[in-house]
Amino acid sequence: MATPIKDVILKENAPVTILFDKHIEFLRDYGKDDNNFEFGMTDYLRVSGMYWGLTALELLDQTHSSPQEEIVTYIKNCQDPETGGISACLGHDPHLLHTLSGVQILAMYDRLDAIDVEAVVKYVKSLQQPDGSFTGDKWGEVDTRFSFCAVATLSLLKRLDAVDVDNAVKFVESCMNFDGGFGSRPLSESHAGLIYCCLGFLSITHRLDLVKRDVLAWWLCERQLPSGGLNGRPEKLPDVCYSWWVLSSLTILGRLHWISGEKLKKFILACQDTETGGFADRPGDVPDPYHTVFGLAALSLLGQAEIKNVNPTYCMPQHVIDSMQLSPQILRD
Amino acid sequence: MHGRIKVRTSEEQKLQKQKEQQKKLVAYRMGMKQILSTRNKENYDPASLLLSGQLLSVNPDIYTLWNYRKEATLMELKENHSDAENGDEKSIEFCENELRLTEQCLLSNPKSYGSWHHRYWILNHHPKPNWQREFDLCTKYLSMDDRNFHCWDFRRLLVNKIGITLTDEIAFSTERININFSNYSSWHYRSTLQFLTDAESVAKELTLVQNAVFTDPIDTSAWFYLRWVLSNPNLRKTQKDELLEALEQLQELEPDCKWIVMAKCWLSGNITVLDKEHVENNVHYYKELIKLDPLRRGHYEDCLKIVETKID
Repeated sequence: MATPIKDVILKENAPVTILFDKHIEFLRDYGKDDNNFEFGMTDYLRVSGMYWGLTALELLDQTHSSPQEEIVTYIKNCQDPETGGISACLGHDPHLLHTLSGVQILAMYDRLDAIDVEAVVKYVKSLQQPDGSFTGDKWGEVDTRFSFCAVATLSLLKRLDAVDVDNAVKFVESCMNFDGGFGSRPLSESHAGLIYCCLGFLSITHRLDLVKRDVLAWWLCERQLPSGGLNGRPEKLPDVCYSWWVLSSLTILGRLHWISGEKLKKFILACQDTETGGFADRPGDVPDPYHTVFGLAALSLLGQAEIKNVNPTYCMPQHVIDSMQLSPQILRD
Repeated sequence: MHGRIKVRTSEEQKLQKQKEQQKKLVAYRMGMKQILSTRNKENYDPASLLLSGQLLSVNPDIYTLWNYRKEATLMELKENHSDAENGDEKSIEFCENELRLTEQCLLSNPKSYGSWHHRYWILNHHPKPNWQREFDLCTKYLSMDDRNFHCWDFRRLLVNKIGITLTDEIAFSTERININFSNYSSWHYRSTLQFLTDAESVAKELTLVQNAVFTDPIDTSAWFYLRWVLSNPNLRKTQKDELLEALEQLQELEPDCKWIVMAKCWLSGNITVLDKEHVENNVHYYKELIKLDPLRRGHYEDCLKIVETKID
């Protein structure tokens, strides 16, 4: 009773080069028509969606093509005057996920002055729990994703001192598993997305010494499937977004060379939509900005020359991280 | 968008679909407008509450609507609190309705963070939460999809509430593994139960995981668990030797299976004394792995470098 390996087969006519112009068109047009169904129905994730699309454009060196002033005003209007947190869109509630996305966009445009920074700091601080964990908003959902969002936001605002970092580290450390990976809460199963969040967290707080480096890097490199694509957990299908979660994690651990970059690149390129532009999760699926930014960012880590360098911890252009004088920890040999 | 296959449609079908989509978009926007315009800190509008349930059934990721329902729940419970006669009953009915909504949302989208959280939040505000019923439901869901990590996380929260014994949970995960060896989630769950504290239990565990990898050596899940069991300090040396021998035999049947070679590396790893034969074996294994598994060549080359430093 052998279990077949879950994977996809790349077609022979799959694209093998980056369709630059198509992607730029795809990203620019996304959201231009307010009555587009997909766009209109996803207002509850708008600010994060903007971060995906705008970062993708930035990586393609198209910063001039974004209506920056409009974007800055939009985010400014999404800051909740009561709590200081940023919401997905006007009328919706503030949440840590969108707070980070909003801060990332403003940092990219060097416009953090547009929002009330102290109010954001107060908001993030208010979400830390006695055990060091963070909730996503006032309703109490705890997740290591939020630990990452909290320290990423605060570090971009240069206010990491506002929270109890030692306690926050203790919580993240308590989420480490037998395989060296991390889950969303203590004892939760390892998952590449959450491993990225926890490694990103430890990278920002400079505590990568806590990681079982080679056990974890082995688990991560085993995510590569014969198609070249990466999955997020054992026995799952490959997906472009895991190209990012796994690859950035391996980069942070200094073990990028433990997978075949060439085969991964082939897989990511095959996930491009040759008609509309954009990347999908797998070849032949519907593309979206989320998979587009993570596909491009992964190609950047793989050394694709035409794409700007991306920072593996923040998933933002490296030049932005440099000019802000941030130096997240990365393990090297 | 995950796993949505792009389909070709005719112009006519496309127009028809666009029409339907526009209707849905208008309905969504009007619904949100009504809910948000009636939202206030004192009371909730029953019609808006009903509407929010309808919108969430279609899309449980609209997080603000779950928040809205939590606010309404708190208002309802507060008001019922002052009703000594029927208050409890009314609150129970309200909470049960919330549970039904989350169940409906989870059936259509079992990975919705918002639905899972709302369910747990409601149970914690429920005057008489039926944790046993939740637990049984969770067991049922896991039998439908034993890789849903939200469901495993939920189970952990419930185990804390109703005091299920460790023995019960070990038995549960053994049962899941016997149904399907290829179940990383169940193996992971076992690793969290912290029962491998003496030589006897480690020996039994090694037998279980050994059976799994020998039944289906291509499947990866159990190999990860095997590596972890092999790192247990309570493992007897005789068992290690027996396993190595069994792996040699298995390799004759499955000469291309890299996992067998890797397991041999783990068994001869941690060389503290310089044993020439061990080192040479390891060099041989890693060279074999480079051939069997070229994707991870960089990993094996790094391992090889470490081993080779041990050769004079």
